[in-house]
Amino acid sequence: MFKLALLFFMLFAGETWSAGEKECGSLEYCDEYKSNVHDLYSLQRGLGLYKNYCSSCHTLKYLRWNRLQRDLDIPESILTEDLIGSPEVKTSDFITFGLPEISAIGAPDLTLRTRVRGEEWIYTYLRTFYDDIDQPTGANNLVYPGTAMLNVLSGLQGRQELTPDGRLLKSSDGTMTKEEFDLAIGDLVTFLAYASEPARITRERNGIFVILFFIVFTAVMWLLNREYTKDIK
Amino acid sequence: MEVQRKGMFSSVMSWVDKRLPLTENLERHLTKHPVPKKVNFFYIFGALLMVIFMVQVVTGIWLMMFYTNTEEGAFASVEYIMRDVEYGWLMRYMHSTGASAFFFLMYFHMFRGLLYGSYQKPKELVWLFGCFLLFLLMAEGFLGYVLPWGQMSYWAANVILSLFGAIPFIGPDLQVWIQGDYVLSGATLSRFFALHVVVVPLLMIALVVFHIFALHEVGAGNPEGVNIEKYRDESGMPLDGAPFHPYKTLSALPAIGVFFIVFFGIVFFAPEGGGYFLEKPNFEEANFLKTPEHIAPVWYYAPFYSILRAITFGIPFLGITSKFLGFIIFAGSIAILFVIPWLDRSKVQSIRYKGVYSKIGMVVFAVSFITLGYLGTKPVNEMRTLLAQICTLLYFLPLILMPIYTKYEKTLEVPERL
Repeated sequence: MFKLALLFFMLFAGETWSAGEKECGSLEYCDEYKSNVHDLYSLQRGLGLYKNYCSSCHTLKYLRWNRLQRDLDIPESILTEDLIGSPEVKTSDFITFGLPEISAIGAPDLTLRTRVRGEEWIYTYLRTFYDDIDQPTGANNLVYPGTAMLNVLSGLQGRQELTPDGRLLKSSDGTMTKEEFDLAIGDLVTFLAYASEPARITRERNGIFVILFFIVFTAVMWLLNREYTKDIK
Repeated sequence: MEVQRKGMFSSVMSWVDKRLPLTENLERHLTKHPVPKKVNFFYIFGALLMVIFMVQVVTGIWLMMFYTNTEEGAFASVEYIMRDVEYGWLMRYMHSTGASAFFFLMYFHMFRGLLYGSYQKPKELVWLFGCFLLFLLMAEGFLGYVLPWGQMSYWAANVILSLFGAIPFIGPDLQVWIQGDYVLSGATLSRFFALHVVVVPLLMIALVVFHIFALHEVGAGNPEGVNIEKYRDESGMPLDGAPFHPYKTLSALPAIGVFFIVFFGIVFFAPEGGGYFLEKPNFEEANFLKTPEHIAPVWYYAPFYSILRAITFGIPFLGITSKFLGFIIFAGSIAILFVIPWLDRSKVQSIRYKGVYSKIGMVVFAVSFITLGYLGTKPVNEMRTLLAQICTLLYFLPLILMPIYTKYEKTLEVPERL
């Protein structure tokens, strides 16, 4: 019986376990990226990119300005003048950049986007735009073919073209080198990861103390129990 | 019972004892209740289940203080808890991780029961109450999963509710009655909230009480399947037993510590559980116009979901659709657990003294359950459906054939003492 089961497993192996599911949209794998929300400067650079390149279409409707100010250590004057820039918006308001609740062009809210798609998906997606004259926007994407998003970052990255064998080739230079651009997108993804869960900063920082408490607790209880168990041995 | 004591405390206690059998019950259930001295780690899951039940109740109360049970407000209120409520994120992650932990512990607790025959005469009722608790836990988990009103909440609930719609004749009306609307909507959400926070937990508390009272009537088991009541010392305490308190309560504490290390490790460093505890699509608000590409249940329902999906054929001449047959087999996979006490005809309790067929049966059952669980989280293809069908068969076979092989197989001699 057991051998039979084993035989079945061998028969089904391969096809069953990894049935060629794509992990990253239409790509087999995403590029690796792990955000570090404890890097304050990375978060601030990410916020800068967000403000300049994303905020005219995408809201952050679950994140409040003053929470952002507190967590990213932003001075009051920069917050009110450079970031908010409108006397009608209070610092306790959500970050909507004056955009309507439902976007006219269908741009999704980005507050929870990294938790829906995954950080690596976003990281790969933002770096794999290429020129495609068949698309209404003039650009297409490897991760998400037919995406409605414009290639807004091409000024930084430069333009890319798809070669017949499916690779991306640079056709013109942007203001950043490839390494600089990858780092910048990393910052942006880190900022989005923060926006999706501001509590992650405290969570990851303080969790270790809770664990340490329970290690001590377990040790004390183990000793106490050992002492008591001697009576009934 | 008259208890002679001195001092202020004892005079209060005897005043109470004359009106309420407090001391008597404390002794009966705690300080004099005999439990086997030697058990293995499988016997800790009951205590851990009590702990996690309390965690769920306490964190649930706090979540309820800030949660909005409306279609418009539910999703945003969860984000409000995650961001604006002090330590709201901790309450929420403890509750969501607690749900997974609850099932994890429950499955091990029940597997212990299967291994060491914890359902055999005279423990049938203990097992039955336990099975009811599994059923209620599944209902509780399902109802609670709908409350954040994310995409997966909405569409997974749609899948499950449509099963009721597949019942012939009464199905469609029944589904509307349960939903409270013609489609899954805010009406469904608010009634699921009521059921999740009041009805099901109340029933669970009642059943936990019954489960434990029944257990204390027949006595806890042990991995050897030895009856410890046989040999007693002068005071009436079994020779292989020890009072529940302080010995068992104390031995549970280090285990609870280890459990919390793992539990809080997940809560603080991996609350999404790699997408298995909190699924990615559930971070997107429910949208009835947009079906997710792949609707996957949370891992703890995956084995049963796999059984449901494995039935791709109906019985046309009886008018049974494949969906309804799937529902029957799916319900049967839980229902069959209830009757295990009457399927096992073995003379011995523990797997250690049972014959080789029982051992094979247990391995086949466990392996097929885990395989079904794996398959349930993945999208279907032909091979996987076939494998799920085979595993469904292998899930039922060891249980259905149990009356035959347990009756005829050769068992080993059970020792007299632990």
